[in-house]
Amino acid sequence: MGLAQREIEKAGMATISLSNIPDLTASVSVPRMVGIEHPFGQIMGMPGDDERQRAVLSGALNAIEKMTVPGSALYLPYTYPDTILKAEISSQPEPPIATYLKRRPWHLPRLFTRKIPEHDPD
Amino acid sequence: MTDTIDSYRFTGGATKRLVKSWIKLESPRNIPWFPLARPLSDCTVALVSTGGIALKTDVPFDQEGERQNPWWGDPSYRILPKDVKTKDVRVYHLHIDHTLGERDLNCLLPVHRLNELENEGKIGKSAPAHYSFMGYLLNPKEFLEISIPAIIENLRADAVDVVLLIPA
Repeated sequence: MGLAQREIEKAGMATISLSNIPDLTASVSVPRMVGIEHPFGQIMGMPGDDERQRAVLSGALNAIEKMTVPGSALYLPYTYPDTILKAEISSQPEPPIATYLKRRPWHLPRLFTRKIPEHDPD
Repeated sequence: MTDTIDSYRFTGGATKRLVKSWIKLESPRNIPWFPLARPLSDCTVALVSTGGIALKTDVPFDQEGERQNPWWGDPSYRILPKDVKTKDVRVYHLHIDHTLGERDLNCLLPVHRLNELENEGKIGKSAPAHYSFMGYLLNPKEFLEISIPAIIENLRADAVDVVLLIPA
């Protein structure tokens, strides 16, 4: 996502990323970023929580007006109650790559070093 | 505002190790910068979601391709019109609970919240088109060479000033 952001900024638009893994987003040198502790699948807020979704959206857009230095970051103070987070995290599906690597753990270093094969090496 | 947040609150231990390993592979580079041209209240704003969201009437993202070869992710993108409704879309990203965004699109792509900000004059306008692609792209080459230039061309045609990128 950060790579896409960089390209759009280069094309002459002001861009900002929302991120729940700000360390990773910042590592690709994005122009502007807003971090938030919201879970995957509902980063803007829970279904039907218009108020929270709006606060996150406004928080991110208003940040653009305040940021004057490349690489600026700001963190929104919203989060979810722990009970909901636990349920949500446990309901995340297992992606195909995780299932695959459980069966073929010897390929794990490829993922960690991003030496990604063009085709399934097996 | 808060000083910082926990980057690993939603990752399991294995994903945390993976993310830290990927961060180590990066080194600082020049940061592109285009200053905001006018007040937000005059800006056209577009949203980009990595949720793999597509209109039900559009071509689905290729989930089967990723299941067959989990090193691969669909590098294409889809357009979501400004007036898109939750009932019009499917969420194809295989790494998230797709039912959330299919219950309320605004969890992933807050188009309705953006329209509200437009109606209240907080932004100039919501762009006529918003975008989604699959955030899981271990090799982003094709995405960066084909999809991103096409998205940029559309954004320019719509005179977009501000782009908010939203992870899934």
